[in-house]
Amino acid sequence: MPELLPWEKVGSEFKKVRKRAGMLIDLRRCVGCHACTVSCKTENEVPLGGFRMRVRYLERPGPEQSTIAFAPLICMQCQDAPCLTACPSKAIVRGEDGRVKVDESKCDREEECITACPYGAIFINEEKQVAEKCDLCEHRTDVGLDPACVSSCPSEALQFGDFDDPEDPVTKIAADAGALGWKENEGTKPSVLYIGHEPWMEEKANSGVQLSEADMDVTYEQNNLEVGKR
Amino acid sequence: MERKTLTRRDLFRVGGGIAASGMLPLPSFAEGISAKPLAPGRLGRIDYSKAKAVPTICFGCTTHCGVVGWVENGRVRRIDGNPLDPNSKGNICSKAQGMISYTYYPERLLYPLRRVGKRGEGKWKRVPWDEALGEIAEKMRPLREAGTPEEFVFHYGRDKTKGYTKRFTNAFGTPNRLNRRSICSSNRRAPLMSFYGREFEWESQDFENTQYIVNFGGNPMEAYQGGLYMMHRIQHARVDKGARMVTFEVRPSATASVSDEYYPIMPGTDGAVAFAMIHVILKEGLENAEFWNRWANYPLDDLRGDVAEYTPEWAEEKSGVPADDIRRIAIEFAKAAPACCTMSNRGSAKHYNGVQSDRAIRTLDVLVGNVGKPGGFCLSSLRGWAGRYGQEGLPKLSQPGPKASDPMPWGLGEGFNEDAFRKLPEEVQERVNAFPEFWRKKYFGELATPSEYPLAWHWYQMRVGQLVYPYIKESRQKVSVYMSFTLGASYGYPEANLAREVLADEELIPFHVAVDISYSEQAALADIILPEATSLERWDHHSTNNYGLVPYTGVRQPLVKPLGQSRSIQDILRDLARRIGGGMEEYFAFDDMEGFYREWYQNLPISWEDFKQRGIWMDETREKDYELYERPLTEAELADTSVDSETGIITQKESGKAVGIVKDGKSIRGFDTPSRTIGVYDEIWPIAAKAVGLPLDDVNASPVAVYDTVPEHRDLPEDRYIFTTFKWNVHTQGRSAHWKYHSEIVHTNPVFMHPDTGAKLGLKEGDTIKLTVFRPKGHTYRSGEEGAMGAFENHVRFLKGVHPRVMACSHHVGHFEQGSVAKAENRKSAPEQGIDSESKAFKDADIPDKLWWSREKNGIGGGVHINDALPINPCPLTGGQNWYDNVCSIEKV
Ligand code: SF4
Ligand code: SF4
Repeated sequence: MPELLPWEKVGSEFKKVRKRAGMLIDLRRCVGCHACTVSCKTENEVPLGGFRMRVRYLERPGPEQSTIAFAPLICMQCQDAPCLTACPSKAIVRGEDGRVKVDESKCDREEECITACPYGAIFINEEKQVAEKCDLCEHRTDVGLDPACVSSCPSEALQFGDFDDPEDPVTKIAADAGALGWKENEGTKPSVLYIGHEPWMEEKANSGVQLSEADMDVTYEQNNLEVGKR
Repeated sequence: MERKTLTRRDLFRVGGGIAASGMLPLPSFAEGISAKPLAPGRLGRIDYSKAKAVPTICFGCTTHCGVVGWVENGRVRRIDGNPLDPNSKGNICSKAQGMISYTYYPERLLYPLRRVGKRGEGKWKRVPWDEALGEIAEKMRPLREAGTPEEFVFHYGRDKTKGYTKRFTNAFGTPNRLNRRSICSSNRRAPLMSFYGREFEWESQDFENTQYIVNFGGNPMEAYQGGLYMMHRIQHARVDKGARMVTFEVRPSATASVSDEYYPIMPGTDGAVAFAMIHVILKEGLENAEFWNRWANYPLDDLRGDVAEYTPEWAEEKSGVPADDIRRIAIEFAKAAPACCTMSNRGSAKHYNGVQSDRAIRTLDVLVGNVGKPGGFCLSSLRGWAGRYGQEGLPKLSQPGPKASDPMPWGLGEGFNEDAFRKLPEEVQERVNAFPEFWRKKYFGELATPSEYPLAWHWYQMRVGQLVYPYIKESRQKVSVYMSFTLGASYGYPEANLAREVLADEELIPFHVAVDISYSEQAALADIILPEATSLERWDHHSTNNYGLVPYTGVRQPLVKPLGQSRSIQDILRDLARRIGGGMEEYFAFDDMEGFYREWYQNLPISWEDFKQRGIWMDETREKDYELYERPLTEAELADTSVDSETGIITQKESGKAVGIVKDGKSIRGFDTPSRTIGVYDEIWPIAAKAVGLPLDDVNASPVAVYDTVPEHRDLPEDRYIFTTFKWNVHTQGRSAHWKYHSEIVHTNPVFMHPDTGAKLGLKEGDTIKLTVFRPKGHTYRSGEEGAMGAFENHVRFLKGVHPRVMACSHHVGHFEQGSVAKAENRKSAPEQGIDSESKAFKDADIPDKLWWSREKNGIGGGVHINDALPINPCPLTGGQNWYDNVCSIEKV
C-alpha cells in the first residue's frame, strides 16, 4: 500500500479517546502573529466583533522593558466551569472528553454564562441569537486534525492534547515546564495551561478574549473609542 | 538538547488515532447537541470526512509557503500548512486564510469593465472579454508594427509567474516590464551581490543550527520575505536550543519583542554599530584570520586601519546603543562562530547610507568566518534550476518553449536599438555613451534601466519603480499603452499622488489597462479593467531559497475554477498575444494550461500526478548547501578554461567568465564574483559614481564599507523627528486591507511615539497631530528643496519601545478604494457592473454591515493614507527607496 500523505489520513481511521482535552500555550514561543485568531475565525465563521480566541498585545511594564508581550487567550475549558453552572437553560454542556460546549438548541441567550466566565470567552452570536465560544474545534479533532488555531500556529506555541493521559507529549511538556492556568486563583481548574505567563499580564488583559474599551492593546484599536477621549 | 515540542510534521497525526491508545470508530461528531440555523452567507462547519485536500502554494505574502486547501462543495473553506514543504515545514501565518477572504470578497472583480465617462470618474460598463481584449490588441498592434514596442509598458506589483509575463513582453518586444524592487529590497540585494555575486539566491542563514543572531532591523516575525521560514527556525533555536537573538530596531516590532535583547537605535546608524563590532572583534583577536585571508579580497590590516576610529564609544554617540553592550555583543557573537549569523533588512538598508551599513554587517560574518558554515551565514544556490552554481544533479526545470529572445539593448551600433536610443533626452544619451563597455549591453532605456542608477541593473534588472511616474512626466519615455498588473502604485508608492496625477493624464498615458482582483486605487484609474483569477484558481511555478538549505520546488495549482468571468494572467496574456498576432501567437500556441505546467516540470523524477498530490518536490537525500564555495569544479566546468597564474582565477576561454579559483592546488568554485573571492572591496561603487557624476566622497561611492551619517540627519534640530513606516504581521503591503478578519485586527495606523517625546510635545494619547515631511538632502530626486513636501493628520499612541527621535506609522490602511472593508465603510463601493455581491458565492454575513470599526458605527475608521507624504527618495546608484530617512515635524491639531 502506498504511503498515505498526511492529509489523506484525515478521517480515515479512528477517533482517539480523551478524558481531559486541553491546550498548552507556550508564551515563550508566541510571536503574536494572529494566525490562530484569523484561522479560528475563518474556520468557525466567527462574526466580526466576536472572538472564540484572541491574541492580546500587552506592553511590558516598567521603565526598562520596552517591548510587547503576546498572550493568546481562549476559553480555558475549565474542569470546574462557572459558565456551565450559571446557565439556567443547561445549554452549556460537558463532552465525554471534558470539553465545554454550547448546545445551541437549548440556548435562550440569557447571557448568565458571559457574566460568569472570568476569561471573557463567551459572546453572543447575534445571527443565531445564541452564546458562542471555543469548543476546541471538535469537528476537526474528531477526524484527527488539530484545532484550527493549533494547526495554524507557526511557532508551535499552541498544542492540543489530553492532560489526563500521562503518555501524551503535551502532558509531559506541561509538567516539565510547570505550566499553570490563567488566573489560577479563580479556582476554575482550566484545561488550558500556560508556560511563561506573569501576573501583570493577567491583570492587564483582564477583560480576556472579547474586545473591551477598558483595554488598550496595540492592535485592535477599540470600538467606539472616541479618539482623544482617553 | 532535544526538541521539547511536537513537530509540525505530526500535525495531522495528533489525535488521528494512528498511534493512539484507545480507539473508537467514527463518526462521533459532537454527541447529543444541536445547532441553530445558519444566517444567510454562512456555510456551517466543514465536514472533513467529505472535504477534499489539495496542496498548493500560498499567495498571502511574498514568502510563498506550501499549503493545503480544503475544498468543500466547490468552495475553498480553509488553509492548513503542507508538512511536506521543507521551508515552512507545514507552518502558516494569518495571511494564508486571506486567500479565502480575497477569493470570496463580495466586492471582488468578476467581469471586464470599460470606462464610460472621464478617467477616474468611477463610471463603468461591463464588456465581453472579446471586446476588451480586442480593444487592447487594436491599441497594441500598431506599436509593434511601427517598431516602437517600447511604448507598451507592463508594470507589476507582484508577479509570481516566474517568467511567464516576460514571455509576453519579450514576444511583444518591449524591455519595459517594470517592478518595484527599489521600493522593496534593492539596497539589501546590491551589497549581497557585491560581496557574493549573482549566482545565489539571497542569504539563507542556517537558523535552525545557530547559537547567536545579531539582527539589524529585520522583522521576520512580521513582514520579511521568507520571514515565516525564519520565524519557526529562530523560535525553535531560541527556546529549545538556547540560541540568543539581539535586535536593533527603531520600534518594538514583534521581532524586537521576542528577541532576547532589544536596543532602540537611532535610524540610519546600524552601520555604526556594525563597525564598532568589527573594531571590537579585531581588538580582541576574535577574528578568523584563516578564513578571511583565504576568502576576503581585502587585506585584514587595511580593515583594521579602516575601523580604528570606529570605537564602541563612537558608535554609542551615533546610535544610542550603549558602548558596553556593543562590546559584549561583539564578543559573544564572535565566540559563537561559526554558529552565529547576522541578519538585516530594510531597517538597516533603506537609508541613504544603507548600502554601506549592509556591507559593514556582511563584513562581520566574513570576519568571524561563519559564511556557509552550519549555524552560520549561508547562501543557497539560485532558484530556478538551470544547472547553475551548486545545482549539479538537480532536474532542469524551465518554462516550455518556444520563448522569444530578450529585446535589443539600446545604444548606437550594430545589435543595438538605435531608434529608441535616439529618442532619449540628449544628456541621457551622452551619459550612456560614456558608460564602461560592460554596461553597454545592459541598457534598455530610462524606465527599465535608469541611467542615473546603474547599480539597479548592473547585476540584474532590479528597476527603480518610484521613478517611473516622474520619468513619464518628464517625457523620458513615451507611453502609448500602460498595463498595471496587481500594482498598488496609486496607493502605496512614495508620492502616490504623483502616480495618480500621471495616471489621470491622458496625454501622458493615453491608454491604461489594469489587471486586478479587486477595485484597487490603481484599477480606478484605468480605461479597461480585466478581472484576474486568484491564487486559489490558477497555476504558477514555485521555487525559492530554502532555509533548510536543500533546493526544492513546488506548484501552485487551481483548487477551484475561476469565479465569475475572471481569468488567470496566463490566460489573459496568451489570448491577448494571439489577438495581437504578427508572430506573437507562435509563443502562445498552447490551449491546455495544465499541460503547459506539466511540461515545465517534466524532468522531475516523480510523475505529474504524484507531484500535484504532494505539491512539493525535494531530493531528501541531497546534502545541504554548506560551503558551496569549497566544492570542486566538475570536469565539464573545467573544460576549455585557463588559469591566471597570479590570482588563480579560472576563466572560461570562450565567454571570458570567471568560473572558479585554484586554492591549495585544487580547482574549486569560490564565490560568483569577478575575483571568485568575497567582494569586501569592490571597484564597482566608485566606477558607478563616476559614471553618473556622484562625488567620490559620497558614502555610496566607496569601494569598501564606510560610515557616514544620513545627510538630513546631521545636526537634526531638536524639534525634528525621523518618520518611519512599518508593516504589521496581519497585512501584506497595500493588498490586504479588504480581508475582513485581518482588518478587524489592524485597521488604523496611529503615529507611535515614545511617551517622553509625547510629553515634550505636550501630547496625550489619542490627540491628533499634523505630521509634516521634508525633502531629503543627499544626492537624490528633488533633494534639498525647502519647505514641506507633504503632511497628514493622525492620532497618536505612546509606546516606550519607540526610539525617542522616531515617529512610527504603518501603512497598509487608509485606503480610498478596494471596497467597503478596505475603506471601513458599511456600504459597498466597488462598481456594481464589475461585482456580483448578491450571488450566493459572494454573500458574506459580515460585509458590509458588521464592520464595527467604521465611522458610521462610531468606530475609529479605516486609518489614514500616508504615502502622498513620503518623498520619492532613491538611494544614489542602486535606486533603492530610502523609506526610513524622512525628517518630519509635529504639530498638535
Ligand atoms: S498563531 Fe501561535 S505564534 Fe501566532 S499569535 Fe497565535 S499562538 Fe502566537
Ligand atoms: S508567510 Fe506568507 S506565504 Fe507563508 S503562510 Fe503566511 S502569507 Fe502565506
